[in-house]
This record gives sequence, C-alpha cells and structure tokens, in this order.
Amino acid sequence: MRKLIHAIVLGLIGAVVLHIVIILALPHFTGKDAYTRVTLEGLPQRFYSLDSRPDRAGLANSDPFLKLAACAFDVSDAPVHLTASGSLPFWSIGVFDRDANEVYSMNDATAVEGKLDIIVATAAQLARLRAAAPDALAQTIFVEMPQPQGYAVLRAFAPQKSQIPDAQAFLAGAGCDQTAIDP
Amino acid sequence: MFRVPLLVAIALAIAFGLGIQSTLMALNATVGFGEIEIDGWRAFPQAQTAEADPYARAHRAKAGRLLLGSAEGLTFIATSDRAGRKLTTDCRYKLSGTVPMARYWTLSASRPDGAPLSGSSGPSLAGLPTALNSVVTLKNRDASLEIAIGSDAEPGNWLAIPPGPAGSASPVGNQEMMLSLTLLDTPVAGNSGLVKLSMPHIDMVGCGHA
Repeated sequence: MRKLIHAIVLGLIGAVVLHIVIILALPHFTGKDAYTRVTLEGLPQRFYSLDSRPDRAGLANSDPFLKLAACAFDVSDAPVHLTASGSLPFWSIGVFDRDANEVYSMNDATAVEGKLDIIVATAAQLARLRAAAPDALAQTIFVEMPQPQGYAVLRAFAPQKSQIPDAQAFLAGAGCDQTAIDP
Repeated sequence: MFRVPLLVAIALAIAFGLGIQSTLMALNATVGFGEIEIDGWRAFPQAQTAEADPYARAHRAKAGRLLLGSAEGLTFIATSDRAGRKLTTDCRYKLSGTVPMARYWTLSASRPDGAPLSGSSGPSLAGLPTALNSVVTLKNRDASLEIAIGSDAEPGNWLAIPPGPAGSASPVGNQEMMLSLTLLDTPVAGNSGLVKLSMPHIDMVGCGHA
C-alpha cells in the first residue's frame, strides 16, 4: 500500500514537471506561431494583405472593419524601411520580433504628417544611421530590433463600405523594403 | 512479481496523463494571467508584450494570431450576459451603456474560438449588419448607446447574428457566441487603474421566437 501511494505521489510530481516543461517549451515548436505564419505568406520584405477567410498560412482579418497586411522582415543585412501613406480615418502598425513580442506600435495620430515612416534596424545599424543622419530620414522613426527577424502588421480602418477601397489601396501601397545605410 | 512494473506504470500514467491533460486545459481555458475584467468583458493588455507570462506565451504561439499592439488598441471579449448565462445565437440581447474612451471602436460576434458564426438555416446574412462600429452606430444625447443583438431585425442599432433553429426545440444550430469589442487608440490599454472604466452591459431580452 505504501508503495502504491509512493507511486501515485511520484506520478503527481512527474505531472507537475511535465506541465511546466510543456508550457515553457511550447512557444519554440508549435510551428504555427504568428511569425512562422507571416513568413509562409510569401517572400519576406513585402506586405501581404489578408483576406477575411484564413489563407493557407492560417492568417485572416478577424475584424470586419480593419483591413490587415503583414510583412516578415530580416534586418541582419540591412535596415528595413516601413512606409505607407493615404487618407484614412485610422491606421496603426505594430512591429513584433520573431517571438511575437511587441517591439513598437503606433497609430496615425502620432505619425508625422499622417504618414507611416519607420526604419527597423539592429542597434549597430542604428548607430551608423544616426551618425550619418541623412536629411531624407530627418522625420523617420527609428526602431531597434532585439533580434534581426520580426514582422510588422499594418491595420487600416474602414468603418464604411465606401472606405474599403481606400484602405486596400493604403495597404497595397505600403512598403517594407531593405534600405541602404549610406545613401 | 509484477508489482514493481505495475507501480512504475501507474506513476508514468499519472505523470503523462495528468501532465498533458492539465496543460491542454490550461491553454484552452485562458489566454494567461494579467487579465483585466470590467463588467463581464475581459481583455489581455499584456498578451502581446515581452512581459507576458509563460502561459500567455504558450497560448500565443499555439493560436498564432496577429495581436494588437498597445498603441493600436485593445480587444475586449464577452461570453456571458450580466446574469452570467452563456451567450447563444438562439437568444436576443440588449447591449446598453457607454464604451470607454477610444477614437473608434468595433463590435462583432463570433464563436468562442474566434471562428465566424455559421447560419444553419434561414436566409444568408449578406447585407445585414453583422458588425458595428462607432461611426455607423446611433448614440443617445448623453453619449450612451443601445444595441439590439439578435437574428430578427430591430429598430435603432441592430447587430445581426445567424438565426437559431426553427422552433428552437432542438439544440441543433444553437451556438455559443462571443462578442468582441475592439477599442482603437485607447488609453485603456495602458491604464494604470486611475480611471474608472465602464463597459456596456449585456442583458438577455428573450430566447427563441416568442
């Protein structure tokens, strides 16, 4: 009897350990986390507009009034310039690292002249960019990535049907391009 | 003679059975800790940040959704009415009250797992207001609002959901429902607790075609 209780207690301890191990390890091997899904959309450094139905990567517009576009990028070679402009009631962007942690987010109210103009780069690239300080980037927001890989999600708000083409054009014209540090 | 292998088998069965079951339950039941709850509406303002707890990270990696950043907005979800009953597509509800400060908001209904509601019978919902936002919604003079939620058209603000089964005697087609209220550009996301927030109340009006 004592051995049976011993076995049950041992089993319970094992269950707790297994629970903790699975919870901690899960983010590293699900294969369907947000970064992996965005990379499955296609080539990196390009915004892909999402449909209201899940695409083959499993991503979709969950909100009927918010149109989404996502771009996976890698800044290990060169910084990436996120750009977009258009007349919308509301737009917002979130920059995330490959673990889906938020690095930076903003909306149109905090943008200069209502335009999206962000450079994401590593710490070393940012130091060189600031030293060069080209005039073309005087109003650009610099975002430092903790890891070189990440993704950006751009949302365009279309509260009424007539505004959907504007939102789609805004997302279609959005840029997610590699840029040279020394122009 | 077989006592030792039996004890080992019991220990292993308990460890793997309970360990895996409890993990699945924990991941399905919640998005993690750090939830804020206001009048039955729940939100996870930290879920997309590096400060998220291990449960939130595991859930985030498993669900693979594109979450809103803190400067973008915050989504509140509700799965039960003010009396604590689960929301279903078979019943009619009234949403009343004020929405917290935000530049815009959107309201939509879905299944509790986020999948769209499917109409089992009756006409399609194409062209009906299956989602509302702050631009198209009528407000009272004191900025409060009332929204009727149901499968039958109502005057004023109406959120259309798929009709329940005809006669509603059988539970087929009667789906559980989740309401999502997304606040865009809201100070609630970084709320330090200094502001008293109030969310609209969800009251059940009736069930079936009475």
